[in-house]
Amino acid sequence: MTLDPISLALVQNRLDHVSQQMGWVMIRTSRSPIFNQSHDFSCFITDAAGVLVSQADGIPIHTGGGGFAVRALLKEFGGRIREQDVFLQNDPYTAGGNHLPDWVIARPVFVAGRLVAFACNRAHQSDIGGGAAGTYNAAATEMFHEGIRLPVLRLVEAGVMRDDLWQLLMINTRTPELLDGDLRAMLGATQIGAEQVQDMIAGLGIEEAMAYFAGILEHAHRRMSQAIESLPAGVYLGEDFMDDDCFDPIHVPIKVKITVQAERMTVDFTGTGPQVKGFKNSSVANTYSAVYTALSAFFDHRIPRNEGTFRGVRIIAPEGSVVNARAPAAMTMNTVFPAHQIIKACWRALEQGDPARSCAAWGPNSLPTSAGRKANGETFVMYHWGANSSGGAVKGRDGFQQIGPMITLGGLTIPNVEIYEQLYPVYILRHEFRCDASGAGEFRGGNAVHYAVYNETEAEYSFRAEGTRTPNSYGANGGRMGAQGRVEVWPDGGVSFRPPAYAQLHLPPNRLEVDTPAGGGWGDPLRRPPERVVRDVRDGVVSEGVARDTYGVVLAPGRRAADLAASKALRERLRVVAAGHAD
Amino acid sequence: MTAIAANAGWRIGIDVGGTFTDFVLTNAEGAIRVLKVPSVPTDPARGVMNGLGLAAEMLGLSLGELLARCAILVHGSTIATNTLLEKKGATVGMLTTRGFRDSLEIRRGIRENPWDHRTPYPEVLVPRYLRLPVSGRFDRQGREVEPLNEADIHTALATFREEGVDSIAICLINSFLDPAHERRAAEVVRENWNGRWLSVSAEITPIMGEYERGSTAAMNAYVAPRTVGYLLALDAELGKQGLPQRMLLIQNNGGAIPVAQVATKPVTLLLSGPAAGVGTLEYFSRAIGSDNLISMEIGGTSCDVILMSEGRVAVSDQLTVAGYHLAVPSVEVHTIGAGGGTIAGVDEGGLLFVGPRGAGASPGPAAYGLGGADPTSTDAQLVLGRMKPGPYAGGSVTLDGAKARAAVAEKVARPLGIDVEAAAAGMIRLLEQNLLHAVQRISIERGHDPRRFTLVACGGAGPMHGATVGRMLGCRRVYVPRLSGVFCALGMLHSNVRHDFMRVYLDRLAEAEPKAIERVFAELETQANAALTTDGFAAADRRLTRQIDLRYIAQQFDVRVTLDSANQDPAAIRAAFEHEHDRLFGHHQPGGIVEITKLRVVGIGILPPLPHAEAAPAVADSRAVERRRCYLDAARGFAEVPVHAGASLAPGHRLQGPLLIEELTTTVFVNAGDSLEVDASGNFLIHLAPA
Repeated sequence: MTLDPISLALVQNRLDHVSQQMGWVMIRTSRSPIFNQSHDFSCFITDAAGVLVSQADGIPIHTGGGGFAVRALLKEFGGRIREQDVFLQNDPYTAGGNHLPDWVIARPVFVAGRLVAFACNRAHQSDIGGGAAGTYNAAATEMFHEGIRLPVLRLVEAGVMRDDLWQLLMINTRTPELLDGDLRAMLGATQIGAEQVQDMIAGLGIEEAMAYFAGILEHAHRRMSQAIESLPAGVYLGEDFMDDDCFDPIHVPIKVKITVQAERMTVDFTGTGPQVKGFKNSSVANTYSAVYTALSAFFDHRIPRNEGTFRGVRIIAPEGSVVNARAPAAMTMNTVFPAHQIIKACWRALEQGDPARSCAAWGPNSLPTSAGRKANGETFVMYHWGANSSGGAVKGRDGFQQIGPMITLGGLTIPNVEIYEQLYPVYILRHEFRCDASGAGEFRGGNAVHYAVYNETEAEYSFRAEGTRTPNSYGANGGRMGAQGRVEVWPDGGVSFRPPAYAQLHLPPNRLEVDTPAGGGWGDPLRRPPERVVRDVRDGVVSEGVARDTYGVVLAPGRRAADLAASKALRERLRVVAAGHAD
Repeated sequence: MTAIAANAGWRIGIDVGGTFTDFVLTNAEGAIRVLKVPSVPTDPARGVMNGLGLAAEMLGLSLGELLARCAILVHGSTIATNTLLEKKGATVGMLTTRGFRDSLEIRRGIRENPWDHRTPYPEVLVPRYLRLPVSGRFDRQGREVEPLNEADIHTALATFREEGVDSIAICLINSFLDPAHERRAAEVVRENWNGRWLSVSAEITPIMGEYERGSTAAMNAYVAPRTVGYLLALDAELGKQGLPQRMLLIQNNGGAIPVAQVATKPVTLLLSGPAAGVGTLEYFSRAIGSDNLISMEIGGTSCDVILMSEGRVAVSDQLTVAGYHLAVPSVEVHTIGAGGGTIAGVDEGGLLFVGPRGAGASPGPAAYGLGGADPTSTDAQLVLGRMKPGPYAGGSVTLDGAKARAAVAEKVARPLGIDVEAAAAGMIRLLEQNLLHAVQRISIERGHDPRRFTLVACGGAGPMHGATVGRMLGCRRVYVPRLSGVFCALGMLHSNVRHDFMRVYLDRLAEAEPKAIERVFAELETQANAALTTDGFAAADRRLTRQIDLRYIAQQFDVRVTLDSANQDPAAIRAAFEHEHDRLFGHHQPGGIVEITKLRVVGIGILPPLPHAEAAPAVADSRAVERRRCYLDAARGFAEVPVHAGASLAPGHRLQGPLLIEELTTTVFVNAGDSLEVDASGNFLIHLAPA
């Protein structure tokens, strides 16, 4: 069938709108802040075979993962799916999940009695049982410690909710009122999405609609193929690492070999470290999503992100490694770590293909959570989001000074001090830039911050600090590494100490300090325009010593401008020294 | 300023845009005069005075006579916005609480599109070396835990002097709970600094959240010298020429305010143009007989959508301008890149796109012949026969049909392998789908069913798309005002004066002390009455409304409830909150704890409403001036349609589509099956055939 190019554009545009609209309904009708404030969900549409055709506005680390869930559903229930059925699933090992807290609702769409599509969403639930409230159990060593595992379940049978199943879900959470509301929001959103997809397919005719869906995938495939072809053919190696398995210091390499041949790409993780004891193991769906995020962010954010986009990308994730763990390895942390490291390893490899487009590493998250009771007896769980890290540089801009996690590409935002002081029993003492932490470069990394807070009550702390033992926010294209982080606690009446990278600790009232890890720089620091270096010095985020020794900029008397002649001479000397080191 | 409430004489609305300055004049009899003159970006005041001179001439008066007979002059100005966009603001110094210098630059990490990570933030308005720390702190209960260190302020002032700072902003942590430190710091600055411009965060917007409050204060400091300087100079000039009272300005909240009162808060003028649309909707709601309206104002580059439900347009505390985040009461306007100059093309993967980029006024559409090679929606409309080549917009441009066709052929038809008319039709269909999505967004996201609304299609390009988008939405009627092209200037004539007052008040609704709440409301009402008295409004012309922002505990967004005499007690307030929560979010929590977050008073100074002038009724049938081959829709393709001259249509006329109406600055398209009625005030009401 020849496709009408106008209809193709209209269908693509409409499908993305339907995905977005499902998102608005989710935000509008959900209960828990993790949906309607943190936006930790994604809505998507697949074809009848479970191929993801549209996903809009989802958080980056969900990119492309939806197809795994629907294909798992088809494997279990293929041929037995009826109109008005709805499915629920979360298990990474049996049901195409990425990690347990992300539950998928998949609603089949029928036209004239024929299964034609699925309208779905995936969303992080507030609590799913397991060893710790709030889904993150840093002590977990098996998935059984992390919450309830759901294979593909037929939650609604031909339009009738399975109440027994619903009760099973509700008694397996610490927050049934939130889970109840949020699941209903997911059901409502997919209902609206399914109706619109159904109208659209019925209007076009089934065969035509399927042809247009194929056309949408093909278009995305062409766009990504052109992007891949813009890199020279070759083999590019990238590596990153974790330095802790949640219990002990241990080197866990994330190795990737990216092979580019014309418009095709292989992303091979052979050589990556084995799965680890703690909950930092990745599932296949999560590893694919991390790779997709790395590629989309590296190339061009305007390329659509459906499964056609990645048709020319083959991913090899060895079973039993930390990027494709065997059951029952724990894995709730995986959407952050090792997703962060997977993205960095891919970016490092891609840098060799095109240094101009390379992306310096963002600082990893090192922020703890604390949970306890306020003076009035109410419980609280506080994420110390004020301790977010900073971004890495790319050509054309410095790293974001402080920014939400890299796996969200900064989609999660940082709270106001004043609002946090109203919500939690804390008195925030400091939240401002570090000096000399940013990775130097023609474009430098973000400054990162000193965060200091007095925690007024005793509380249960979950520390999960990456990037505090070894600096590894690499610079790109000659840019320098960003500084590592530091976490320190001064308990009332006790001596200060640095908590282990991963730990659950009960602490009395205390002063907590986090110097957050900083992002890497891009390009040779000696190429940074002197006036920008002067501005950094005047701003107090780069010291005069670093300006001189790293950036080769000497300040004129009065410290408001560079001494251009002296700087030029110094830069020439420093280049000679650097060349000498290179020899 | 007693004359403000006078009913005699002319009212003049002036909307200074980037390209044109629009003037609308009306009097108590409802007579309306409209004038469009080119703006003078280098000296906007001259553009205004020139235009007023021409307007006077049109009425057979001298400028002095017109101004002397002017009851109200309302100005909507992009001066504050342009100051920001052109980076012509002040050198600002900022005092912050020690330890918290950087919230302005961290910006809470908010970026519009996370995927677009290569795009930098806009430049921070105050560099870090001019954001200087002051010790002193209040805790979350508003208790002083550390006194203000005045020596720090003197140290900062020394730096500010040295660095040539000409405008100072102050934002201290927790000042929304107790502004004492900010106030004292302001005193110290005033006593020791000979500069004029001082912006104190809690005075401008006493909201909770140091980033948004500080960002607002910094922006205010940045735009103040140039914006206020311009406005006061223009006001003085108008006074000298005979205007008996001071001019009014349109604020972000959609209300007017006398120039003297805005001098300390120019940040409230950044949305001045589109916000005037609220006045326009209020005006038309009477003619339409419905207060459920959605306006779609489509100009050259963008489409602004505003929703009025039961006579109210939502005003929120959030506003983003050019990537800067502000917290001042602002009308909710949803803007997308879709207009007459929106560019279409085919991407690297062979897919058609329309927008969001536009060709602007220059080079503009390919048909303008000013060097634009990219096809725009205007070019597509020419190919489709809905617009005709030749002089347009009173002759200010000439549309070249061949150039339009060539651009569509080369940049869309050829890459897609289809003929030029199919390509043009595709461009318009995709554009209209984007318009549909924009309207669905502002309605569905806020829990409104767009089918219950009348769509008001305005702006130069709106009337071309109104009927099609209205049908896709499921609306039954589309209203096309004759003065579609001066939508905002018209609204200015119908905007009441409005002052917003707010206080953060944190307590649980069930436990809150009614007397304490009453005390705060009374204080806010005293402020509102004082402001309206200064404006010259007698008690009978003032309307004060109490509002209360509420949420379930731990939610981070508020739901606003307007109090009336019927729901002053906590149980009634709770019921009203639950009702609104249901509409917005689809549910409420029966046992949930409800918290108060803010108390507000809106003070309205009511200007006498202007009547709708009855236009002279039709005396004869309207005859088409020509028949033209024009594209109708995907199913019907092209057809010969009658074209009517707008001037020949009068109240009482009823016409069956398909047809086109040509007005001076716009073209109205009515499809087959739809019918058009000219209402008593001479505007067009399109009745849509059921889909």
